[in-house]
Amino acid sequence: MSNLEIGIWSFPVLLLMIFLRVPIGLAMFAAGFAGLWLVNGSAAIALARMKTETFTTFSNYSLSIVPMFLLMGYFATLGGMSQALFKAAAAWLGHRKGGVAMAAIGACAGFGAICGSSLATAATMGRVALPELKAYGYAGGLSTATLAAGGTLGILIPPSVVLVIYAILTEQNIAKLFLAAFIPGIIAAIGYIITIRIYVAINPGSAGTRERVAYGDRFRALFAVWPVLVVFIAVVGGIYGGIFTPTEGAAVGAFGTGLIALLNGGLNRKTLVASFMSTGRSTAMIFFIVLGAAFYNGFLALTQVPQEISNYVVSQGFSPTLVLVLILVFYLILGCFMDSLSMILLTIPIFYPVISGLDFGLSPEHTAIWFGILVLIVVEVGLITPPVGMNLFIINAMERSTPITQTYAAVMYFVASDLLRVALLIAFPSITLFLLS
Amino acid sequence: MYQFFHGLSRLMAAIGGLVLTGLIIMVCYSIVGRALIQFGLAPVHGDYELVEAGIAFAIFSFLPLCQITSGHASVDLFTDMMPDRVQRILRMLIEILFAAVLIMIAVQLYYGMESKIRSGQTTFLLQFPIWWAYAASLVSATVAAVVAIYMAFIRTTEAFTGRTLIADDQGAEH
Repeated sequence: MSNLEIGIWSFPVLLLMIFLRVPIGLAMFAAGFAGLWLVNGSAAIALARMKTETFTTFSNYSLSIVPMFLLMGYFATLGGMSQALFKAAAAWLGHRKGGVAMAAIGACAGFGAICGSSLATAATMGRVALPELKAYGYAGGLSTATLAAGGTLGILIPPSVVLVIYAILTEQNIAKLFLAAFIPGIIAAIGYIITIRIYVAINPGSAGTRERVAYGDRFRALFAVWPVLVVFIAVVGGIYGGIFTPTEGAAVGAFGTGLIALLNGGLNRKTLVASFMSTGRSTAMIFFIVLGAAFYNGFLALTQVPQEISNYVVSQGFSPTLVLVLILVFYLILGCFMDSLSMILLTIPIFYPVISGLDFGLSPEHTAIWFGILVLIVVEVGLITPPVGMNLFIINAMERSTPITQTYAAVMYFVASDLLRVALLIAFPSITLFLLS
Repeated sequence: MYQFFHGLSRLMAAIGGLVLTGLIIMVCYSIVGRALIQFGLAPVHGDYELVEAGIAFAIFSFLPLCQITSGHASVDLFTDMMPDRVQRILRMLIEILFAAVLIMIAVQLYYGMESKIRSGQTTFLLQFPIWWAYAASLVSATVAAVVAIYMAFIRTTEAFTGRTLIADDQGAEH
């Protein structure tokens, strides 16, 4: 077998392992190891790589952002900011038709600005908003779907763990990717609010009303969220302004949210330990996938498979937009049963060379950033698509009186809004790239 | 047994969390020092190197907890349709493979450390030997391998007895 054939055969083997429930990082590691063995004719080189590669992967300065952002997210949930954000959003939006659900979206967007994780955003805002939605007579399906969708704003609005991984895989500037994600993130929040309005118009019985709040109280509620704003500006502004590296920005963010949690009394020994456990578990999971991906991609690069695929696609003269759309559709399908980070680590090394080989009329850097934001959105759609959207499970576990089928039905409105937004961003790359120019 | 290994894994994760927190505080202190350099403060010397050494240790220390709580991301959709018995055997095989890989990682890390001792390589600014960082990580990698062996033992017992000894935790967060 030629190296190229070994590389191509590794795909079905890898997929088979993953479908047999082998953890994704382990599957990639095993496939990469076996592949290197076959290509080199002996296991010695693969073993030799492991002497330093595990350590260098885990000690990567840029990747150390990931545990820091995760800890920042858990501290943020302890700081009482979720209540303050929801109160402020509800003061401004609550009296509208579907307003309390809209407020939940607004609060999720705000929380997303200090939290880089979708599941943490969904879980935290769910705890705050679900009881309120119930109290104001919102239908179960609308409530759970709103929070599941709102949770995805945690990743879409910077800081974002997924974007960090994408930036490292494609050697792009993390600060520029964060900046590019900002406007699409705001459009996502507005899109969800419009979705709620449409849902309520179609199902008039699904939302109750809440009394109007006086403007003085509205501004007071808004003022209470200033710590969120300070942390967000310090982190994203500091990184983009070149005051510190993205890793330093993540440390500042974790320190800031930790301080807020400490001052609000949310941080004590018990919650600190719990934050360490959650951060540790997620970190280990992510880094094992990163390690497996490093091994597997090292092997793939040796077989020249990514390059050959890219050459093939480019030489066929397909329409670039068609190729892009097909890749995004592939992510949507994969997202129905795989988590977002695994998808990115598994596929970007293959798809990214293809995309960079095509001409979209943008500079190479802009193409990479634009593609990154589009991928970010479609992999996040996977968190809210049945059957295994993780956000749906998280929220449904908190609101057991709503059957998951009702959540499934309502969440499709939000999925439609996501798809519309992707189409918009494909048609007008300048929306994403606007802040960069 | 389970109490011991679970406690050990939590202890390692807590130590990793403390190191992570320490790094965060050090990095923030370093930024302040850099900003106020004209007032006589200074950034932490070699902060970059400390982050690299510390974060590797922290991540290795998080592995045992992820292992014992089955926190690794996987695709459950297709296996959920299989009969219980097949699922148990699959889990046994996976956990044995996992243990083998983590043992291999720890052993190779040891060889990596040996070669760093031989070469006498030090970090650029602080000039501390790189093998120190390897040695710290090796402790955690060894615990991870031991916990993985324990989990392989548990899943093997489960496959043969048909009883569930350790249930999965909720899906991993990220």
